[in-house]
Amino acid sequence: MDIELAPEDLEFHEEVRAFFQENAYKPGEDYAQWRLDWFRKAREKGGWDVPKWPVEFGGPGWTPAQHYIWEQETARATLPWDMPFGAGMVAPIIMAYGNQEQQERFLPDIRARTVNWCQGYSEPGAGSDLASLKTKAVLSEDGKHYVVSGQKIWTTAAHIADWMFCLTRTDDTGRKQEGITFLLIPMKQDGIEVKPIITLGGAHSVNTVYLSDVNVPVENRVGEEGKGWTYAKGLLQHERTGLAGLSRSLVALEGLKENARSVQRGNGTLMDEPAFRAKVAELEIDLMAAEYTELRSLASAQAGAAPGPESSILKLKGTEIQQRIQKLTMEAGGIFSAAWGARPVGPKFAKGGMAGYLASRAYTIYGGASEVQKDVIAKNVLGIKRSAR
Amino acid sequence: MNFELTDEQRLIAESVQRFVQDNYDLETRRKLADRDPGFSREHWATMAELGWLALPFDEADGGFGGNQIDVMVVMEQFGRGLVLEPYLASIVLGGGALKRGASAALREEILPGVIDGSRQLTLAYAEPQARFDLHHVTTAARADGDRFVINGHKSMVPNAATADHIVVAARTSGGQIDTGGITLFLLDAGAEGIRRNNFPTVDGRRASEVDFENVEVPAERVVGEVDEGFSILNAVANDAILALSAEAVGVMEMLYKSTVQYTQERVQFDHPLSDFQVLQHRMVDMFMEYEQCKSLLYRATMEAARGDDETAQRTIHALKHLVGKSGIFIGENAVQLHGGMGMTEELAIGHYFKRILVIDSEFGNADFHLEKFAA
Repeated sequence: MDIELAPEDLEFHEEVRAFFQENAYKPGEDYAQWRLDWFRKAREKGGWDVPKWPVEFGGPGWTPAQHYIWEQETARATLPWDMPFGAGMVAPIIMAYGNQEQQERFLPDIRARTVNWCQGYSEPGAGSDLASLKTKAVLSEDGKHYVVSGQKIWTTAAHIADWMFCLTRTDDTGRKQEGITFLLIPMKQDGIEVKPIITLGGAHSVNTVYLSDVNVPVENRVGEEGKGWTYAKGLLQHERTGLAGLSRSLVALEGLKENARSVQRGNGTLMDEPAFRAKVAELEIDLMAAEYTELRSLASAQAGAAPGPESSILKLKGTEIQQRIQKLTMEAGGIFSAAWGARPVGPKFAKGGMAGYLASRAYTIYGGASEVQKDVIAKNVLGIKRSAR
Repeated sequence: MNFELTDEQRLIAESVQRFVQDNYDLETRRKLADRDPGFSREHWATMAELGWLALPFDEADGGFGGNQIDVMVVMEQFGRGLVLEPYLASIVLGGGALKRGASAALREEILPGVIDGSRQLTLAYAEPQARFDLHHVTTAARADGDRFVINGHKSMVPNAATADHIVVAARTSGGQIDTGGITLFLLDAGAEGIRRNNFPTVDGRRASEVDFENVEVPAERVVGEVDEGFSILNAVANDAILALSAEAVGVMEMLYKSTVQYTQERVQFDHPLSDFQVLQHRMVDMFMEYEQCKSLLYRATMEAARGDDETAQRTIHALKHLVGKSGIFIGENAVQLHGGMGMTEELAIGHYFKRILVIDSEFGNADFHLEKFAA
């Protein structure tokens, strides 16, 4: 048991830092071009554009220590804009359950970041209880395409997406987890309508997507008809481990402390106020523990073991920590946090303080609400079986 | 970077586990705790035989040359078994002070007996007015030729009744709360002028109030340098916090796991209690706090073992805070979910809870360390 980084890890650390420095965005550059170039160069480094992909699909095959170093550095660097839905979410499903033709067709564009994806899961009647979904997919008589009708909701980035990976119902006679089919649907076509939903923080990132008799070729079905739930469950696991965002929280916490020290309070600063300081300290301690929970989880993954019980708590702890940082940032901003929109009042960091806090309330809702996570942990980790009584 | 125990450490863990299984059922433990000395001398001899008492001492002193990680492995298992033997007092506290500060002659005289189990040690550090401040020392040592004369009072000294030697922190110069001017002395427990008032603590262990009245001690029994004892005291306290936290993590594991098991067996309203979501979620919270404590324990222990003192100090404050807060959270909920049975002496749950409460009170509680961490 030790935490020394091996000499080759220290070298790797330097290499990562140098890469970020050399390829940082320079003011005046064409952003879209810079973004695509960045991912191309990362790819040339040996799979740095897709750190979590398996080696056989071009991933770098890093050790846990290397993943950890990468995460730490990415939290500090300004990386090109990237949504998790493509390389992070649909790609692992296509790799695991798609056929070779689908892999050759979709993975290169996902990797190059030239197409945008969105996730068609939740529906008005299917939130945490996702398997209750009703969006219908009916196979045409000639067996060549599905006709999809229904409504998806909370669909992040649907308004800029080229594709949606979508859970549809092809059979409603059995258990609700059965009869779900995983389809890849082009967004730019007749029958698809995207309407924005503005959330509490005032931002537009989620949408309602209406599907009316949308034609989806049968080649766009991943895996077998009716097996989509099994595939999606695997993906949810992916999504959950990716949501902890601890390195980012570490950087955000540093910022919070710095900001709080800039806020005057009597002869001192906000950080001299015992109640506030104690909240920041408790937050930092939880974060320090969670960092090692993540390292333990990475280490057991490296050893090829099934993710240990510690992995299951990362999404819960990680999102809760993110929320607490937003909350303390709002508190630090005091009255100025209440200014709506881009009004230049108060300290710079306080801008949008309340809006940011409000937006953060979603962290413990999306990707499986915290309460659903707890149900899953109770069952799968604590081994509590619901009795038949 | 890795989180695997070495083969040796795994063997030690297994051997402590086996020892606990064979010797520490609740009833036997209760009998040991109920009568003096509050532990088993036979067990102590077994621990010496198995080499556990040698773990943190240098090979030159007849030890195993281990570090805080080795002690963690033992203490975590001790926590799971609620082991009563004074490992902390004799090996981590008294032994830790000697290992760090004692002259070669003194180490040669004392440590072999500590390692073979024939002598026990303790450390007298707490005083009534000090609360948790290690440097708040009024017990005074006056130089008198080639000896010192000690007068004062120490509180809650663990294992003082059976210790053969007491390492005591006394003020040789400076003001009452200065870190400078504190000196550590090795005293024979039976020396003239030492009066011990022994009593049990809530967790079934033993402690003493100890008076020192004109206790004479030769200058060669100073541990470390005169006036420079605080750095040793602080280092020993850090090791003690790591050891206690490892023990606490073992205790927490038993608390949450016993609760999970009990709620699956106990039927009310025609259902096992574990069918109720409100209880399931509570148990998940308990489990999560346990895992977080374990993570921070690993972090602090590895940093300390690596000798990165400044980083480790901050993490140790964080650890003692979290262990106190989460340990009590887990303990309270374990009792709550056991219902009336959780309030009885009959189940192990209450005994684990008592131990976690005492651990929080030792070497600074959760609030104390939060304040230190935030400073």
